[in-house]
Amino acid sequence: MNPAPFQNLDRVIHEAGRMAIMSLLAANAELSFTAIRDTLKMTDGNLAMHIRALQQAGYVGVTKSFQDRRRRTTCSLTAAGRRAFDKYIDTLAEIVRQSQG
Amino acid sequence: MKPAQAEQNLQVIRTLMERATLYHRALGPIMVLAGGAGVSAAVAGFGLSIGQRSGFVAYWLAVAVAVVAGVFLLTRRQALRDREPVWSLPTRRVTSALAPPLAAGLMATGLLRDHDPQLVVLLWLLAYAAGLHAAGFFAPAGLRYLGWGFALFALGTLGYALHCPVSARVSLSSLDAAHLLMGVSFGGFHLLYGLYLLLDQRHANTP
Repeated sequence: MNPAPFQNLDRVIHEAGRMAIMSLLAANAELSFTAIRDTLKMTDGNLAMHIRALQQAGYVGVTKSFQDRRRRTTCSLTAAGRRAFDKYIDTLAEIVRQSQG
Repeated sequence: MKPAQAEQNLQVIRTLMERATLYHRALGPIMVLAGGAGVSAAVAGFGLSIGQRSGFVAYWLAVAVAVVAGVFLLTRRQALRDREPVWSLPTRRVTSALAPPLAAGLMATGLLRDHDPQLVVLLWLLAYAAGLHAAGFFAPAGLRYLGWGFALFALGTLGYALHCPVSARVSLSSLDAAHLLMGVSFGGFHLLYGLYLLLDQRHANTP
């Protein structure tokens, strides 16, 4: 089996929590922090940690705004994040294809 | 990484992306529409004093058809606004999850239409509960909890009917009691869940 796909797995995305966050953001132009938290049943701290990691990698953009005098945080995939996620999916698909011969 | 895990990861990604699309598809307004229609129909049902049991079934099936049409129009409007397909893969999955229990409930209704309308309502509650629970695997998890709510309400009602002493029961005709059950469950439960979703979305903030 060709080991290249395994070595090409993006370690930033390849973590259960961050993969789930990227999956949600890939399906929506943007999502609020609480929508992501409630959908994935994460704690605030855990989600904030993952978002920070994705932000530092340049995959997720975070926007803070005010709505009805309350602070609102929304997240969205950057262009680099979208490309990285597509590549991650392609890598997974390659691994599966290899196993099927 | 094992290939089986890669395949599982792909499935997780697919499921989450589909669920996120449905969540975005405004479940709140749909629930409020269904709940409002249910409560209104129950109030109208009291007023219309439908005399026959088959009339009760026909009345509520007509309400269900009207609600489904309204839900379709709401979903279509949002899909067109967001430039997304109306009959998307997530919508197909939710529909196919709902179809078997609802079809079974409809067929059983044909057999029970001349029986006690409260029995028919219990059947509808349990069929709908099963459908919601199945659909909840492709949509927000709240739908599964709503399904449990319908099931527990049906079982609680059955327990009340079987074990509550006659002297302690609320004095209502069988038809009026059936309208009340429909109003509380299909009306009230949907309305409460819809209002919760709308308020939750409106007051989204960061800690």
